[in-house]
Amino acid sequence: MATRTSSRNRRKAAPAVGDRDPDLLRRIHRFMVLTRAVEDRMVAMYKGGDLLGSLYTGHWHEAISVGAASALRPDDYLAPIHRDLGAHLWRGMEPWQVMASFMGKATSPTGGRDGTLHYGRLDLNIYNLPSHIPANFPVATGMAFAAKYRGEDRVCLAFCGDGSTSRADFHEALTLASVQKLPNVFFVENNQYAYSTPLRLTSASESFAAKAAAYGMPGVKVDGTDALAVHDATAEAVARARAGEGPSLIEGVTMRMHGHAEHDPADYVLKELYEEYAKKDPVELFENVLLEAGVLDDAAAKQVREDARQYAIAARRKALADPMPDPADIEDGVYAD
Amino acid sequence: MPTDTGNATYLDAVGLALDSEMDRDPDVFIIGEDVGQFGGAFKVTKGFLDKFGPRRVVDTPIAETGFTGLAAGAALVGLRPVVEFQFADFISCAFDPIVNVLARHHWRTGDPMPVTMRAPFGGRLRAGPTHSQSVESYFAHVPGLKIVMPGTPQDAAGLLISSIRDDNPTLYLENKYLYRRLKADGPISLDPIPLGVAKVVRQGRDITLVTYSAGVHQGLEIAEELDKDGISVEVVDVRTLVPLDVETIVKSVRKTSRAVVLHEAAKRLGYGAEIAATIQEECFWHLDQPVVRIAAKNTPTPTSPPLEDAVIPQPAEIAETLRKVARA
Ligand SMILES: Cc1ncc(C[n+]2csc(CCOP(=O)(O)OP(=O)(O)O)c2C)c(N)n1
Repeated sequence: MATRTSSRNRRKAAPAVGDRDPDLLRRIHRFMVLTRAVEDRMVAMYKGGDLLGSLYTGHWHEAISVGAASALRPDDYLAPIHRDLGAHLWRGMEPWQVMASFMGKATSPTGGRDGTLHYGRLDLNIYNLPSHIPANFPVATGMAFAAKYRGEDRVCLAFCGDGSTSRADFHEALTLASVQKLPNVFFVENNQYAYSTPLRLTSASESFAAKAAAYGMPGVKVDGTDALAVHDATAEAVARARAGEGPSLIEGVTMRMHGHAEHDPADYVLKELYEEYAKKDPVELFENVLLEAGVLDDAAAKQVREDARQYAIAARRKALADPMPDPADIEDGVYAD
Repeated sequence: MPTDTGNATYLDAVGLALDSEMDRDPDVFIIGEDVGQFGGAFKVTKGFLDKFGPRRVVDTPIAETGFTGLAAGAALVGLRPVVEFQFADFISCAFDPIVNVLARHHWRTGDPMPVTMRAPFGGRLRAGPTHSQSVESYFAHVPGLKIVMPGTPQDAAGLLISSIRDDNPTLYLENKYLYRRLKADGPISLDPIPLGVAKVVRQGRDITLVTYSAGVHQGLEIAEELDKDGISVEVVDVRTLVPLDVETIVKSVRKTSRAVVLHEAAKRLGYGAEIAATIQEECFWHLDQPVVRIAAKNTPTPTSPPLEDAVIPQPAEIAETLRKVARA
């Protein structure tokens, strides 16, 4: 569970499940289940040849993507990466739009100009990232800067992977956010691999959360398979940012249970890690928590899974039927008028 | 704060324009290294901190990637950042966000990206290979960026105002050799000058010199000299490289039938290659001579005066080339 890395960051004991808003809990559960269902459907689509290139999924990242996004207000900014389908869906992105992005369809958020995992919607306050990781980190400081500049109490939550922490963007964004006291929450999704690169070749730090101290911000490490731990840590960082107290760093530890993308058999991954994490499916874990607390019963849980499955099937049907883009206007929009 | 004394320098003009845009639009802010308390390495923003405060005059750590990305994020959600790079040479540290974040965002998404990037560039200050670079060609290749290179104080002001009001990422390159050497001959107008409109700064009959930034003055001085020899040079200041006002260039070359392109950047794939190719495509049957490029040697810019002078185009070389092409 949560490891303290900063004495400035005092956390209250987490409330018991029974003392929490059951609607919020059920909603988090529903979106985690939906995220899994959509990605499982998309894996089948990848195998069936529906998609253009490879497919990046966030299996075992659902507690992070949904748990963290659920701690935001809709008007807060989000700067996600390729493991964060759950956060997109939470915000209102439609599964068929995401499928359309992996198919180059006219109905994708970029109309097929960009594709695969490069989707976002500014109308949902979601930044659409380029390939370069973590380019979204400096951009996230800018969205937070704008909120502060205008005296608004919005915050910006940005995600990156463990591998992304090595790049200048990470360092410069955390430096800028801390000296400018920007309302940022930086979330490192530590899934223990960066493509084929294991943690030990990425960082010699004791943790990513520990790096926060060097930037003068609180850092906390949580179990990234535990949706409530993620939600609570994010909520606390969000509250701090909203109160004008500056940025925070959260590390959520999980495991990348699929290849880097579906083309990648990931045979370089330690077998023991797969075995260990097979027992820690975040969706299952959270469902069990809700079942035990009586927030959900078996029939309701089953219904949620079935609804999600049907929703994903319908999304595929729509994305498949959607048109391909027309190249006639391809030179339009290079510049804003 | 800059005040218009009637003979504002090129540097004053940049400051006057920035000041007036910050007055006009509360969403405009300036961000960069040493721009606040110190007033900028070249003092363009002297007095800005006192007038506008730290909220709008933002001193950053040495983090070009970071603050360029920050500007992108702020622009996406409605602000109009002006980024100052201390020297254009350091813009290489922000190449990634400029090319991958700012330049293609609108095309990918339709979202606005109104970021103005100011950078002092160029040689003749004996500043050596990593403090004298002309960077326009690296960026002219990138769809989605506008590139503005004013050559006079008046253009520096009017084009900066347009750059800031433009909804696209704009690279605004200030020739640091001109900063204090060039003075306006009258008050600076703070009306915007549209991007993408070249200016015929001298009418001529025999040959067209297409140039920009410091090349404009070099060109004008030499044109006067050649006039005494009976060679009438038309000088076209393109002012903005992207978008390029092809029409004005073509009109002039069709009239004179001869063209020379001049810039201070290295010759190989310098922007002159683009201009020369465009002239060839549009004016081939009007040309009496091949289009010739005058540019720096394909070396880094040296420090020592005789070395730097050997690399960057000098008046004698320019005059000789113009004479040769005009009389051939
Ligand atoms: C600057 C940059 N270099 C390389 C890549 C190619 N690439 C894409 S994702 C990835 C691994 C990312 O690892 P991590 O940040 O740990 O995130 P994960 O994919 O494990 O979630 C690499 C190398 C890239 N997108 N950007």
